[in-house]
Amino acid sequence: MDVTRRDVMKAAAALLVDQWAASRLSAAASERRSNRKVIVVACGGMRREDSFAEGGFENIPRLNSELLPQAAFFPFVRNSGVTSHYNTISSILTGNWQRVDDWGKTAPASPTLFEFLRKRMGLAQNQAWLISSNKALTSRIGASSVRDFGPAYGANVIFPKQLLINAVVHAAAQGRAVHSADRSSVQPEIEAMLNRDNYDGLGWSVSGENSSLDTLTLGAIQQAIDELVRTNAPVTGDEFTFLVSAEVMRRFAPSLLTITFSDMEVAHFGSYSLHLGGIRTVDRLVHELWAQVQAIPAYNGKTTMFVLPEFGRDLDGSTTNGFFNHRQNSDSTRVTWMMCLGDAVRKAQILENPIEHTDLCPTIARLFEIKNLDLPGKPLPGLWI
Amino acid sequence: MTRTAINESRAGEAEERATLAGYKRLVARLPVTMRPSLTQQINAWESLFPYERNRLAAFLRGLDSFQQPALDSLVRPLLALEEKMGVARWTFSQTGDTMENASQLARSEHYAEWRREVQRIFEAIDSAGRDKAEPHALPMRLVLILLPKSLPVAPLAEWKPWDPRGQIFHIAGDAGSLSKLLVDGAPGMPGIGSLFNSASSGDSSALWLIDADVRQGEIAGQPAYPDACCLDYALLKGFRDEFLAQVNTVPKNIEATDQTLAAMRRQDWDKWLPAELKGQPRLRNFVIELFLSGNGALIFSNAFVEWAASEALRRARPRALVARFGLRSKPKPFTGIAIFENQQRISALPDVDDPEGSAIDALILARYIWLAAARYPEAGQTLCLCVSEYRNAACIIAPQGKGPAWTPDRPVTPEEVQAWIMGQLSS
Repeated sequence: MDVTRRDVMKAAAALLVDQWAASRLSAAASERRSNRKVIVVACGGMRREDSFAEGGFENIPRLNSELLPQAAFFPFVRNSGVTSHYNTISSILTGNWQRVDDWGKTAPASPTLFEFLRKRMGLAQNQAWLISSNKALTSRIGASSVRDFGPAYGANVIFPKQLLINAVVHAAAQGRAVHSADRSSVQPEIEAMLNRDNYDGLGWSVSGENSSLDTLTLGAIQQAIDELVRTNAPVTGDEFTFLVSAEVMRRFAPSLLTITFSDMEVAHFGSYSLHLGGIRTVDRLVHELWAQVQAIPAYNGKTTMFVLPEFGRDLDGSTTNGFFNHRQNSDSTRVTWMMCLGDAVRKAQILENPIEHTDLCPTIARLFEIKNLDLPGKPLPGLWI
Repeated sequence: MTRTAINESRAGEAEERATLAGYKRLVARLPVTMRPSLTQQINAWESLFPYERNRLAAFLRGLDSFQQPALDSLVRPLLALEEKMGVARWTFSQTGDTMENASQLARSEHYAEWRREVQRIFEAIDSAGRDKAEPHALPMRLVLILLPKSLPVAPLAEWKPWDPRGQIFHIAGDAGSLSKLLVDGAPGMPGIGSLFNSASSGDSSALWLIDADVRQGEIAGQPAYPDACCLDYALLKGFRDEFLAQVNTVPKNIEATDQTLAAMRRQDWDKWLPAELKGQPRLRNFVIELFLSGNGALIFSNAFVEWAASEALRRARPRALVARFGLRSKPKPFTGIAIFENQQRISALPDVDDPEGSAIDALILARYIWLAAARYPEAGQTLCLCVSEYRNAACIIAPQGKGPAWTPDRPVTPEEVQAWIMGQLSS
């Protein structure tokens, strides 16, 4: 990515987080902080053969050559639940296989890690975030429908990519195209989105609070967007999600941050080359995220980061049309990998025993010394927990 | 039309209505979760290809052959499973496959078990309905896949193997002439266009020509084949644009989506259809179902070619299918994040071809077409020829023991290839 565009996107991300912070100063002041940090990165659907397998390594050069040698690596991670995005992410976050509406109409049916952390540790809301590229999720993913938990203990959930998508789609719906010499035709659309009373209509939600922008911040964001749309490089949603995530890390250093990337989901439309491009973007962004962890004092030396695909994709030759989809009951779809980096790693090693997605929740709970949770999964081996 | 002919026609229609009503009564004997797909097919009888009609009729004949106690015994485990799954409490359509149905089934913790049970019952009934007479020899079929010169695909020796029987060979001369030779034929040697037209084959869905972009040049020369099922992504542009615009109004809600999609099925699309499709209601419905089933058919030309070919193989089992891939444009700024939108509408930037990306896409999708064909019993009598015009080379998969005696070191002329393939198809 060219430096100018990156700086502009960074500035836009910073301003968005600024705006969020301004409206929550009092909450931030009373927070209790945990010293330990956990980041979970869920990366859409990618097959082992396109990532950690012969022929796939070329798509993940940084994960394979630079991060793997420092990681506890689990090559066999099973998703035994519903292999849709909303159910998978909520299963990872709750440690229970979720079987709720695929399009996020209902909240997870058991408490999320965010709620456990905030309730048991008394953490403030700005200590638990979910930042997602995936349009299949909704803000309901941040808290369960369980009566003793729920939104009062939920995470901040934001969808940066959705802002760009909605702006572009809205422009198209109004018959306005994004022109070659002047991409500023999309600028008013983004600004209009930011000017709305509440982010929820955009797919943005900061736990149900009203999030209108003050004039000062709005002006600054408009300036940043103005710069952004005048660059000519392609824009990827995952890049913007990453920049917002990095900004959240710098400002709030949340104890638990979950990021989901989704550029590789272009596979649903049948372009294998663009799907592989999405995997390469994730490889680069995860590497940069880990560099951020080293660079930010609040994270350096006390962070454990888990990186895992949500699922694989269907087998070539399947009746479900191979890599396009992720609904086949096969190992190609259900079995992926997970990389664990940082603080909790006893030593760099490959742990071949199969594990399940639902093992991640009790593991993270242990990292935060949350005990007596009634969860079906087992804490992962090879970690200091 | 004479009075007698009109009366005969009416009598035929009444007979068909009675038959279909009988089919519906048979389907009602099955557990609830097996009904939607069968009922949908019966309701769409007019849109079914001959193969589908025969298959459905054979299945229902099999169902009819079961005495009630035997059928009760066969479906009992599925009924128990439906009880455990709570199907009675679901909003479950029995008249057609819906997203809501699929979503409820897939979310059930008993889904895998349900699939196994349905498969078991289906196989038992299907087996009962199969023709017990001595199977007659199946005719030879052809799947011809064309990767045009614009696609810089990798050398064939580096391709992921398609099939252990695959043979690679080089083409002497212009590989681009092969498609025309095979479809149109040459003096004294008919092509598949005349061999498999409906008059010769007795099946109006025996020949399919599916193209990413006719502007690459006609697959077949003149005369065209009005009997063939011809689909061209580029020619469908007006229809696609309107269809996509309506798909994009679908809200993030399964029930509402099902309603919108059902309305789109019923809609009159004639205004947007290319002339080639207007007089062909069955093919028009095929395209609508293709677009509604996703898989990128509305978005990328190569995804359209692959998915249309796979669906044609599944639904029509053609004698010959020709699929030609093409170029797609690079995603434009901002459109990469809203890929489901119409790129031309979002961005005024001119389209820029992406030959390298298109070649990667086309190569895996070409293999998918063969893998789709290989799923069916007809694969045992199917020749598959994939031609890379860029490499002036091809890969042929022939039934066991019937491959040509060509070797990679001796280039084969297009005329030799044509003669050998037409010889196989005519034998």
